[in-house]
Amino acid sequence: MSRPIVTVVLVVGLAFALLALGFGAGSVHLPANRQDYEPVQPLAFSHRLHAGELNIACLHCHGAAEKSRHAGIPAASTCMNCHKLVTAPMAAVRAEDELAQKEKRQPRRIVSPELQKLYDSLGLSLNEKRELAPDPRKPLRPIPWIKVYSLPDFAYFDHRAHVRVGVACEKCHGAVETMERVRQIGDLSMGWCVNCHRTADREGINGAQVHASTDCDICHH
Amino acid sequence: MCDDHKKYDWSRREFLEASGFGLFLAALAGCGRAPVQNAFGYIQQPEGAVPGGTDWIATVCGACPAGCGVLAKNRDGRPIKLEGNPQHPLSQGGLCAAGQAAVLGLYDSQRLQSPLIAGKPAAWDRVDNEIRARLKDIRARGGAVRFLGETVIGPTKRAMIRRFLEGETSRPGIEGQAADEGAHWKGFSDARHVIYDSLSASALLDAHRLTHGVRLLPQYRLGEADVIVGLDADFMGAWISPVAFTADYRRGREPEGQPPRMSYHVQFESRMSLTGACADRRLAIPPECLGTLLNHLAVRLAEKASVPLEKIDLGRPPVPAADLDRLADRLWQARGRSVVLCGSQDVKIQVSANFVNHLLDAYGATILLDRPSHVKQGDDRRLSALVREIREGKVAALFIAGANPVYELPEGGELKSLLRRIPLTVSFGSHLDETAAMARYVCPESHFLESWGDAEPAAGVASVAQPALRPLGDTRPLIESLAAWMDRPQSAYELVRRHWEESIFPRRAKGKDEKADTFEAFWEDAAARGCAEFEAEAPAVKEFAREAVQLGETAPEQPIDNLTLLLYPTVALQDGRHALNPWLQELPDPVSKVTWDNYASLSRATAAGLGVEDGDVIRIACGEGEEKNVVLELPALIQPGQHDRVVAVALGYGRRGTERFAKLAPDWIEARPLVGPNGLVGTNAAPCLAWEGETLRYRRNGVTLTKTGEKRPLACTQQHHEIAVPPRLATPGAGRRPMIEEVALSAYRAHPQPGGEPTGEHGAGLWPDDHPYAGKRWGMVIDLARCTGCSACVVACQAENNVPVVGRDEVRRSREMHWLRIDRYYSEAADGVDTAHQPMLCHHCENAPCENVCPVLATVHSEEGLNQQVYNRCVGTRYCANNCPYKVRRFNWFRYARDDRRENLALNPDVTVRSRGVMEKCSFCAQRIQEARLEAKRLDRELRDGEIQPACQQSCPAQAIAFGDLNDPKSRVARLAASSRYYQVLSELNIRPAVGYLRRVRNRDAGEGGMQHG
Repeated sequence: MSRPIVTVVLVVGLAFALLALGFGAGSVHLPANRQDYEPVQPLAFSHRLHAGELNIACLHCHGAAEKSRHAGIPAASTCMNCHKLVTAPMAAVRAEDELAQKEKRQPRRIVSPELQKLYDSLGLSLNEKRELAPDPRKPLRPIPWIKVYSLPDFAYFDHRAHVRVGVACEKCHGAVETMERVRQIGDLSMGWCVNCHRTADREGINGAQVHASTDCDICHH
Repeated sequence: MCDDHKKYDWSRREFLEASGFGLFLAALAGCGRAPVQNAFGYIQQPEGAVPGGTDWIATVCGACPAGCGVLAKNRDGRPIKLEGNPQHPLSQGGLCAAGQAAVLGLYDSQRLQSPLIAGKPAAWDRVDNEIRARLKDIRARGGAVRFLGETVIGPTKRAMIRRFLEGETSRPGIEGQAADEGAHWKGFSDARHVIYDSLSASALLDAHRLTHGVRLLPQYRLGEADVIVGLDADFMGAWISPVAFTADYRRGREPEGQPPRMSYHVQFESRMSLTGACADRRLAIPPECLGTLLNHLAVRLAEKASVPLEKIDLGRPPVPAADLDRLADRLWQARGRSVVLCGSQDVKIQVSANFVNHLLDAYGATILLDRPSHVKQGDDRRLSALVREIREGKVAALFIAGANPVYELPEGGELKSLLRRIPLTVSFGSHLDETAAMARYVCPESHFLESWGDAEPAAGVASVAQPALRPLGDTRPLIESLAAWMDRPQSAYELVRRHWEESIFPRRAKGKDEKADTFEAFWEDAAARGCAEFEAEAPAVKEFAREAVQLGETAPEQPIDNLTLLLYPTVALQDGRHALNPWLQELPDPVSKVTWDNYASLSRATAAGLGVEDGDVIRIACGEGEEKNVVLELPALIQPGQHDRVVAVALGYGRRGTERFAKLAPDWIEARPLVGPNGLVGTNAAPCLAWEGETLRYRRNGVTLTKTGEKRPLACTQQHHEIAVPPRLATPGAGRRPMIEEVALSAYRAHPQPGGEPTGEHGAGLWPDDHPYAGKRWGMVIDLARCTGCSACVVACQAENNVPVVGRDEVRRSREMHWLRIDRYYSEAADGVDTAHQPMLCHHCENAPCENVCPVLATVHSEEGLNQQVYNRCVGTRYCANNCPYKVRRFNWFRYARDDRRENLALNPDVTVRSRGVMEKCSFCAQRIQEARLEAKRLDRELRDGEIQPACQQSCPAQAIAFGDLNDPKSRVARLAASSRYYQVLSELNIRPAVGYLRRVRNRDAGEGGMQHG
């Protein structure tokens, strides 16, 4: 085989590899490093709106973070505390109000397509009176959220201890209140965890002395 | 030559360049994203549910009818572990190996998923309609309906079966409901509930009918006894209710207790049992001599009690007369505080045992008749009558629940064809077992963790069995099936609740808060605690009937070549009900340490006489007269301590369904078959059972043994991971290392600092003192005086730590993965052999020899004294295992984890599933330490002593294991470590282990029996 052919094959290979890598990724990472991972979720839930604009506390929906290893994904029923009433963005409701006024009729209830997904998961539909009611034809289906922060199976992280000693959520999750879609900010590597543990053990958290162990079995068992 | 070279237009350098580049491309292409993972939240969040949180559900273990209280550990809606319920009055927090393994049975992928009609899956509606129609027909014609099953300890279930068979006297209605709503269920004119236990104690119950007028199983209180005599009763292994017996036995043996107590336990037996291994004195007796022995004992005691006895010929006692005299003296001195337990299936012998207990004033003191046990209710006479009826074709409908007569009875083969001839056969089996396969209808019962139920293992002690998850398949509790066929469809929950409201609540133990005295409060409390006490109706026990006792029948002395076959249940498989559970199949037998097979145990002399060694297949022929038509072929095993005229074979093997284990082990080039020549695990010995009179006997006289010449090596773990140094490697002049240290009670009392080297410091060490242990220092102390070797801890550890099953072939290659093993040691004793058990696990040494040979720092010391194994760093050199003096490290030679989606639900999500090529070992349940630590941190408090219980400690029925902080002088473990009985194994190596043992105390005089095993 002559040299130029080999070179061409290899260059084409390189191009393909880079192309494969380039799709859907902004930067190059080692396998399993998901830094900057920002998947499109099945329901366009906006943390910017909820946590930023509306200023809802993280623990309001992810309350398990205080008492469990997982922060938890809020149940669809939790969303319904508000979205029983709020079924569409304010702008859409106002537009309907104006339209109704123009057409001289009662404004109708509007359901945004994204919130419809929430109602679908709960098996709810608008009935003839345009009220949300259980629809027997609809099966209950949990929303298949895509996990953003994912640790390998051999590493065990526990939220409760971190929340308890006052590690702020944004220390690991970044400024979620500015993110339309949640993006993984750290690389979740062991060094990333251990560095923070070392600093916390030395300097404390919020001025308070803490014991952040760096023993292996703290996270690996 | 040079021309040849030119044929290749690539130079070596070019080739390497290109392949290196190709590799780089492949790596680059691999830098994509990990696969997308979904995360699902609840739709409706149940009240109190916390994602990732643990729920504990109090329920009743259904692994056998002993009815121990358990707590099911639920993670995200599925049970992953069972633990003993410390509040249960009988089991007291312990749970046996079979109970620990029951959680794997829940996820058994071979459990029936739906009812069957003639072997084909069917819908419940169709099954119900067909059965109802047939029952209607049978009732009209007055056909015989028989309900055959094992002991029922659930009061609701018992009442439902009675209602189903006998009809309702009046419509059971709760106040406010119409009393005559609907027509009465009339039952059947000829119906009978035949209870039989495959491990029968029928003779014991019958004997009490003769001597006390009521057929019952008394409740033994071993904790109250100062002298315990066991006669062929393996009460801590597999007889009646081992967990409760062990917990109670332990109460009477606390040499450091306040006041110190140490009961004296003598065991007379023909084979070597777990209970015999625990005894202070164990005497091997010929198998037919129990009666003779009891006669001798009775005569001696009657003389002391001045009870006149007719002059009888007692024959020669099977043990030295002086021993019997001494034993009678001890029993007599401790009258009212002594007890005789007899495991015989001969009513006459049991009557003699009752007589001895009567002479000893045991009734009312160590044996309770007014609060009988319900754990064995079987009546062999009724069973034999039923078999006769079936043979004569008189049975119109047969319901079979919790029993497998085709497998368990000697006439199983015959029953197989007979069952086909019964017009209506319904099995409630959860698997398509030997019997269910013969039944027309199979209505699978839900697993006990899937259904509501209840239990009353002893009169006055009741538990509610709560489900821990919804049924995984389309199965149904038995009581729901019966209710459906009675045209009263009701859920098990409603049935149990109603029964409790009507029958148990009115008899509740009162004296509490009046306001809270509602059924709702009672029910909630019973469900939350897992048990409730109530006033049970005392049976109408009569005065001891002296005339029932007929001493004097003495077995004739047998020639030495008359061998007796003894059939016994094992701790793990029992009567075979757990044969489909791989954890229990791989659990080494506590005495023989054999896994995955049954075998014929022979004494050394008998084996020598036959010219067989371990693993030689022998043919055991037994049968009526000269025919000897029942033949077993089993590998032999030499068993010290066994009587010379005995060949002992375990029941419970050769079960249909065990063929599934043929493919259990890794598929590799040198794999050897995992199942026997019959395609199953072991051989069924039940055809050798015999009816004698009308009781089922577990022994057979006059069997003949022949050597077949074949060999079938057993997977025995005893010689694996041996910690004794082979003589060829030992340092010249070094003595034998004592692993197990024992002390006689008299020596211990006289001199609480017993013999043996002082443990701990051995002068200057090789290693620097660089472990300050500023905070906690975890440690463990195991009390060998309490440990019985029952192996519950082994399975508990397996369940907690995702320890894989490797299969028979891999076990034979010493590759079993158990993190905790129980070493068994024999030593010469005056009476034959002393047996001792020692749990052996990672010792988390301070100067750990494993740590400093690891080239990749995969095993390192934590600041709290744990020897951590980091799977992801491990490259599998196995240096650590070679350097470990305790031989407790386990290597994953293959990827032992299986891709069984159903079975893997039993995995503990807190513990990593290890992959091929890494080392693993006991972690002191690091996940439990971490969980407790985090929970304490969350609640802003200090860790409490005893809060962290490793799985082994939690399951131990004898509470032999203590775990805690050695740095805290007030902790239980630190107090035990300061005890004069404390010693460390191999302390001379100066590795400073964090695990220590308390010397075993045997209640005997110094010089009597062996002192040190090795």
